[in-house]
Amino acid sequence: MNELLAQFLSEARDALEGIGGKLMELENAPDDQELMTQLFRTVHTLKGNSGLFDFPEMSRVLHAGEDLMDAVRHGDVQYSQDLADRLLDAMDFVSALCDGIEKEAPVSPEMANEAVRQAKALRALIRTTAEPEVAALSDAPAAPASPALPLAQWLARVPEAIRMEAWEQAQHGSPLVWVHYVPSEECFYQGDDPLHQANQTPGWLWTGMAARAPWPALPEMDAYRCMLDFDVLAAAEQAEVATHYRYVPDQIQTMVVPPQWLLIPQGDPNGGPVYDDFVEDALGLLDSGDLAGLGRAVDTMLDLSSAALWLSSALRWMQRLLVMPAPDTQALRRLVESLQTLQVPAWSEPVVVTVAASSASAKSVQTGNVHAIALKNVIDVQREVLSLPDDAAWLPGRIKAAVASLSGCLRAFSRHGELEGLNTAAEQALANKSAVGLAQWLDAAFPDDAASEPSSSASATIASAAPAAEWVSVPATVAVSNTATEPELAIKEPLDADAPEADVKFGRRSEDATPKSLKVDQVKIDRLMNLIGEMVVAKNAMPYLANRAEAVFGVRELSREIKAQYATINRISEEMQDAIMQIRMMPVSFVFQRFPRLVRDISRRLGKQVNLELEGQDTAADKNIIESLGDPLVHIVRNSLDHGFEMPEVRQAAGKPVAGTLRIAARQEADRVVIEISDDGKGIDAHAVKVKAYQKGLIDEAAMDRLTDQEAVNLVFIPGFSTSDVVSDLSGRGVGMDVVRTAIEQVHGSIVLESVKGEGTRIRLSLPLSMAVTNVMTVESNQQMFGIPMDAVVETVRVPRSAVRTIKQRKATVLRGRVVPLRDLNTVLGLAAPPLTNDSDEYAVLVVRVGDAQLGLLVDDFHETADIILKPLSGVLAGLRAYSGSALMGDGTVLMVLNTKEML
Amino acid sequence: MAIEYRDNEVVFSDIVGVEDAEVLLAWLQGREGVQADFAVCTHMHPANVQVLMAAQVRIAQWPVAVPLDVALRSAFSTGS
Repeated sequence: MNELLAQFLSEARDALEGIGGKLMELENAPDDQELMTQLFRTVHTLKGNSGLFDFPEMSRVLHAGEDLMDAVRHGDVQYSQDLADRLLDAMDFVSALCDGIEKEAPVSPEMANEAVRQAKALRALIRTTAEPEVAALSDAPAAPASPALPLAQWLARVPEAIRMEAWEQAQHGSPLVWVHYVPSEECFYQGDDPLHQANQTPGWLWTGMAARAPWPALPEMDAYRCMLDFDVLAAAEQAEVATHYRYVPDQIQTMVVPPQWLLIPQGDPNGGPVYDDFVEDALGLLDSGDLAGLGRAVDTMLDLSSAALWLSSALRWMQRLLVMPAPDTQALRRLVESLQTLQVPAWSEPVVVTVAASSASAKSVQTGNVHAIALKNVIDVQREVLSLPDDAAWLPGRIKAAVASLSGCLRAFSRHGELEGLNTAAEQALANKSAVGLAQWLDAAFPDDAASEPSSSASATIASAAPAAEWVSVPATVAVSNTATEPELAIKEPLDADAPEADVKFGRRSEDATPKSLKVDQVKIDRLMNLIGEMVVAKNAMPYLANRAEAVFGVRELSREIKAQYATINRISEEMQDAIMQIRMMPVSFVFQRFPRLVRDISRRLGKQVNLELEGQDTAADKNIIESLGDPLVHIVRNSLDHGFEMPEVRQAAGKPVAGTLRIAARQEADRVVIEISDDGKGIDAHAVKVKAYQKGLIDEAAMDRLTDQEAVNLVFIPGFSTSDVVSDLSGRGVGMDVVRTAIEQVHGSIVLESVKGEGTRIRLSLPLSMAVTNVMTVESNQQMFGIPMDAVVETVRVPRSAVRTIKQRKATVLRGRVVPLRDLNTVLGLAAPPLTNDSDEYAVLVVRVGDAQLGLLVDDFHETADIILKPLSGVLAGLRAYSGSALMGDGTVLMVLNTKEML
Repeated sequence: MAIEYRDNEVVFSDIVGVEDAEVLLAWLQGREGVQADFAVCTHMHPANVQVLMAAQVRIAQWPVAVPLDVALRSAFSTGS
């Protein structure tokens, strides 16, 4: 991944989080203009950045989001929860796209479709609130639009040789696709070359260009406003084509071309009686199944005919069909019969598949030069519909649909005067529950021969005349489609225009001027961290060296100098270590910022009202610690929302405020970060927990009586306690709380739960600021050195041999009124030697904390504490659970660090 | 030079870019019966194509390059 892209992704994630946060803030202050502007700018910047790369899906969604925000900013659209939901949803989608980019996974067609859907959902918000009448307008011409995708007529524009080539490819199993590409008028300004785009279509066979409207006079013409529509015939899968046009999915329509549709004879329709003879012969040969004979007849006929004749074209197609291993006799028969009428065989209706189920049907009305035929298609279909038996229950619906289509046709062809007659006929038809009257009106208004007449003339003009002439002949339709598209453009233009771009550029420039922070890859910081770790170890070797200089070589002067130098290096390295730690420090807001959204979403889903209070977001800790906090905190918060808070009615009945309060507070206490999550929900029923734990066999009867309420609620951390049946009838909590505790303990943290039934629950997490350097106490046992993390050390005491008692073969002693079990470290580690005592016959006892209990370890002697870089054991040693890791000491020896949790 | 303007003929070669459209439009204004030679043209930006279409230019030489030839023939079907 190149650096620019990596930076973009990192910035995009920041921006997405920012957008989410601002949307939350806006929920509380929907009228805050400043916030709205910031939000708009963030979306705008992100969109702009995404445009630097090849991420059309992302740009599309962001562009729609930007337009929506702009409309909100200008007061055209009201901010609403629904709007926030949609925007958040869209930003989640963009985030998913970022994930995909990071994994360098190609964008799937589903994602591309989802992008179109998201963008449309966002734009729908602009439209529904700002211009409700637009939808109605654009719907009107939609009725006649669907049959007006006259693929057959479009195909007729393709030269015969290319159609034959396509047909050949189709016979070899290649799918054929027709692309109708209507580029936006502004596309030249955006650097697009639609012709190049069309010619680069996978499996390209043919590109056609046609004017979208009559050409203006040259002096009025704007060369840079795209006035061309493009059609492409390609031998490729639709998905492939959709990928190729993924920047402009709303500007294309694709449809599968049935190979048979390519069989369009064209040419001079000059006919004669000789055709009839041939047709008779050919049909006879077909009937008798003599394809070889037909082939000879066709060849002969072709030799005799001029190549430019319609007849010859049909014959050439017949030749093609006949050389197939299994000739399609049906198609042959229809081709032969067509020689009598000189009409293209009406191959059945095409399968129309639109890639983006585009609502921009208004645009699809501009279907080029085939309006007369489209009209005939519509009329024919309606005639057929109306001639159906009248006994169907949905007859009124059928009549209404037919009327809608017909009135659309009348309007499109400027026959407004006849609308009234149609409406009268329709009313009668509805009243009589019979379509006959309407059918009669239809026959009168569109006589059959008149309706079919434009079809033949059109097919002739398609083959020869300029499309521009066709456009002139149906100006009414162009006008209709223009009025339909105008409102949409009218909304788009001010949003797309320069105004927002201009005012945002200023803001961006001033930000660029003073870069306050650097973005550095974490790997680089980790390397620095490792290096300083090595340096600390190397530095620690110097006192040993000084001792050797004095003891072995007897140079006291040198020893003193080395020590002086060591002091300096020590100071610098400590500062360096501190500085690097500071770099790794991150504020807890990194984790906290996801909660407003989480709390909002969950509480809305549960129908609860919860206010979230965040405190101490600036409290910083090591990146690893902060990152490890994320999942446990989400778990806790989710639990609290799910089970902690009561429903609003229950709260009201209990005399509590309807909206509950969830407080997440972070603060630093000495070298620990403390995070408290408290709610004013219903709390945990300590008695119920005890009973449940007893029933599950987790505690015995004696323990059940002895446990305080406080200890009882902490039972939820016991693995196995957390099952869903417990949660459903208890006051909640407990789902995976053992998982939470494990996660916190992994980063040497601790967790405490306090709860008062009916008043709420408080969970307190305590975590180290950093894990990079571990402070350990070194002890000696059986002439070996061991380290114990200082977090676990409670105290070091000397206990006289006489004070050690044996209870049930276990040693114990009493320290300040408490019984502390004792264990011999040598025994724990499987060393045979007994623990040594000092001159006063006292044992050295290191009291450590193991979970909630305390344990005294009998060691031979105590030594100093040391800062070490703890490395986990790897390979076969990883299985030694008595040790949590090893560290390299200054004199080059290896210190094994004990894992106190395994000591009990 | 992608465009060579002669008396009443315009000759295109190689790739004709979008930026030429304005000049072409200006040149075509006030001229009639202009013919275009595409023989050695490989690609033309559609901005130029539409200017030529609007001016009803006659095509004297069709391009050798296939995609352009096909597309131009579909647009200038009267000239064939």
